[in-house]
Amino acid sequence: MSLPNISEYLATDDLTILLGLIAATVFLVNNLYKPQPLVHPILLGRQSDVGRARNPGESAVYRNYSTGLMGRFPVRPGKDVHILADLVRPETEAPRTLWSTKITNHTFQDRVAAVGTGLLRLAPLKPRESSVLILLNDCIEFLLADLALASHSIVSYTLSSSTLLPSVLESHRPNAIVTHAFMLPKLLELVYDTSDRTVQHTIVVVGEPSPQALASVASNITILKFADVEREGVRVEKILTPIPKPTDVFSISFYEAENGLIQGAQLTHANITAGVAAIHALLPAANAFTPLDTITSAHSLSTTYGRTIAYTSLYEGTSFATLVSSAAYHAGDKPTVLDSKDAISGTQYPIPSPTVLFLKPEQLKAITTDVIKQGARSWLLYPFAWRHKVSGVSEGFVTKESLWDRVLFDGARTKILGPTAATLRATIVSGGPIEASLMTPARIALSVPVINVLSHPLVSGPVLATHAFDLQDFPLGKTKSQSVLPAHSGPPGINVEVKLVGVDDEAVEKGADPVGVVFVRGPPVGKLVNVDGYENIPSQTTDDEEGWTGTGLRAKVQTNGSFVVMTD
Amino acid sequence: MGLSLDFGTPVNTALLVYILYSVQRIIFPSTSKPTTVPNEFKAGYSWMPKTHPPTVLFKTYTPKTLEPFNGKDGGRILLAINGIVFEVTAGRNFYGPNGMYGNFAGRDASRGMAKQSFDLEMLTPIDQPLDKLEDLQPDEVENMKGWIDHFSNKYIVCGKLVENGQA
Repeated sequence: MSLPNISEYLATDDLTILLGLIAATVFLVNNLYKPQPLVHPILLGRQSDVGRARNPGESAVYRNYSTGLMGRFPVRPGKDVHILADLVRPETEAPRTLWSTKITNHTFQDRVAAVGTGLLRLAPLKPRESSVLILLNDCIEFLLADLALASHSIVSYTLSSSTLLPSVLESHRPNAIVTHAFMLPKLLELVYDTSDRTVQHTIVVVGEPSPQALASVASNITILKFADVEREGVRVEKILTPIPKPTDVFSISFYEAENGLIQGAQLTHANITAGVAAIHALLPAANAFTPLDTITSAHSLSTTYGRTIAYTSLYEGTSFATLVSSAAYHAGDKPTVLDSKDAISGTQYPIPSPTVLFLKPEQLKAITTDVIKQGARSWLLYPFAWRHKVSGVSEGFVTKESLWDRVLFDGARTKILGPTAATLRATIVSGGPIEASLMTPARIALSVPVINVLSHPLVSGPVLATHAFDLQDFPLGKTKSQSVLPAHSGPPGINVEVKLVGVDDEAVEKGADPVGVVFVRGPPVGKLVNVDGYENIPSQTTDDEEGWTGTGLRAKVQTNGSFVVMTD
Repeated sequence: MGLSLDFGTPVNTALLVYILYSVQRIIFPSTSKPTTVPNEFKAGYSWMPKTHPPTVLFKTYTPKTLEPFNGKDGGRILLAINGIVFEVTAGRNFYGPNGMYGNFAGRDASRGMAKQSFDLEMLTPIDQPLDKLEDLQPDEVENMKGWIDHFSNKYIVCGKLVENGQA
């Protein structure tokens, strides 16, 4: 009885064949067109190599998985780079633009030698004895002076903000100060206040000092123009001094710590070369820095990390500029707003369109919200585009060349970022915690790798850095006080090892995530010096027994080896 | 012609429904996130392993507190060389109760490692002070250091050995 019914139900005709073909096609499209994740998720489950034993009250030692517990830390970006001067490679012939100056490496080295000789003769300075305070905003003269002083073994001081100037002038009396013309009047006032009229000072001025300022100069102060110093160095025979050793201190970078104390990071040549190697490793090997890149940085050269970024760009042969907001010294008191216009303010210099942006979290947030707002104006396409992008990211895939970028996001990005939108290929963010809920929208809005880095004034390279292709998105975590945790900062940088101190042993033995103060050790970590005249406050931040340096930051480490910096 | 075809045959209807469903999935991809974070990479891209990699807490042992860790009750096996305590549970075949070097389990094996001997005379009784190893020849000290390297690479350093009463 049922048999004829079944054959009725299974009756097919031409339409069936057509529908069958369409169904097969649709099935294949659905299943085979799934985009491959940019990095296999199995690698994201083991981002750190974890030590097998841990001391009581501490977590185990974590290293980046690619370095491994048994591996050696990379200490230089190339095999012949030992000191700062080696970072300028004369083999690369092509010129590149540093701020407003188009220059080849060979010419750059000549200029550095000239500035060095000029400073030694005119200032005058003695190698290994003198010290110079570099009070400059980011400009090519900063790099010239820095490299010149480093090659002649003269210690340079930098300040991360102008408020540190009085204390540093008093405690570390530099033999000479290099500064901008607009800062000369204030600087002269300070020098008169802090020292007596018998000590000789030299001030080298970049730019043209005003006649009023020159008139107010006392007899014990010599004012030199940077251009004159360089000309003098070109004119005479170059002074040769013995090559510094990589472990020589070439600079002390002063900064204000969280506890309000003024501290200095003593940096050696080896610290910076290790930092350059670490920053080089932030981008995956297939997308590494090339001389065709252009880097703009939001971090001032007066900070350790900002300086290392500049030296990375010097080494890689890219063009380089800094943003308006990175300037440590201002003519007036105008605070710069960290918005998307500021994020592309590097383009005010005649550099090629930026390809890699080193940003601060506020700028990333501004760019993301602006691009998304701009995209949302297209009420018809935006919901589809957003939905497709989100579903791609949840599979671990994002690209700048998808249909939705061509149709919607490219236009939005160009409106906000200008020509940078087309050339941008990576963003590296550091300088503070990033909201966890911002990461996926940022990755979609920019559609390029967004790397979250934890930097510290004592460490020249990244302390923690996320994988470039990590697109994972987790539900928002909460701390005990119910505040939302920021986005994770990834595993340790490739040449540091990290441990957490002050963890709750019982909780960790039961399987909880260790929470404690981050201590770091490795080639890029500089030595901490306290400014003289302050009490030497021990051990809250340093644990010198085995060379561990405290960062003063609390963090927790997750089961996949990535760290989350706690903000409370 | 139009709609009546759809309900022509059940096979056609089924295929059509499947096509419509798949096309809907392509145009409106799913954006739902799983409610709990998956613990396997196959279960989702944003996954988190369930547990941390196991770590051993570094402890200070004395000869008396080290002795129970000889594997006789199926527990951890530790042995000490030159004041460094190694976790050799992974080498139960060698250092377990029935192993070739079982004498060393839970004891200070420095002298035995230096002199390349597994005899019981190499071990110091646990209530006596630790073996000072003063009478070792330089080549025996080298041998012991070589064993320390071997152990450090193969097993976990999980503690240090001090005199009875000092921990």
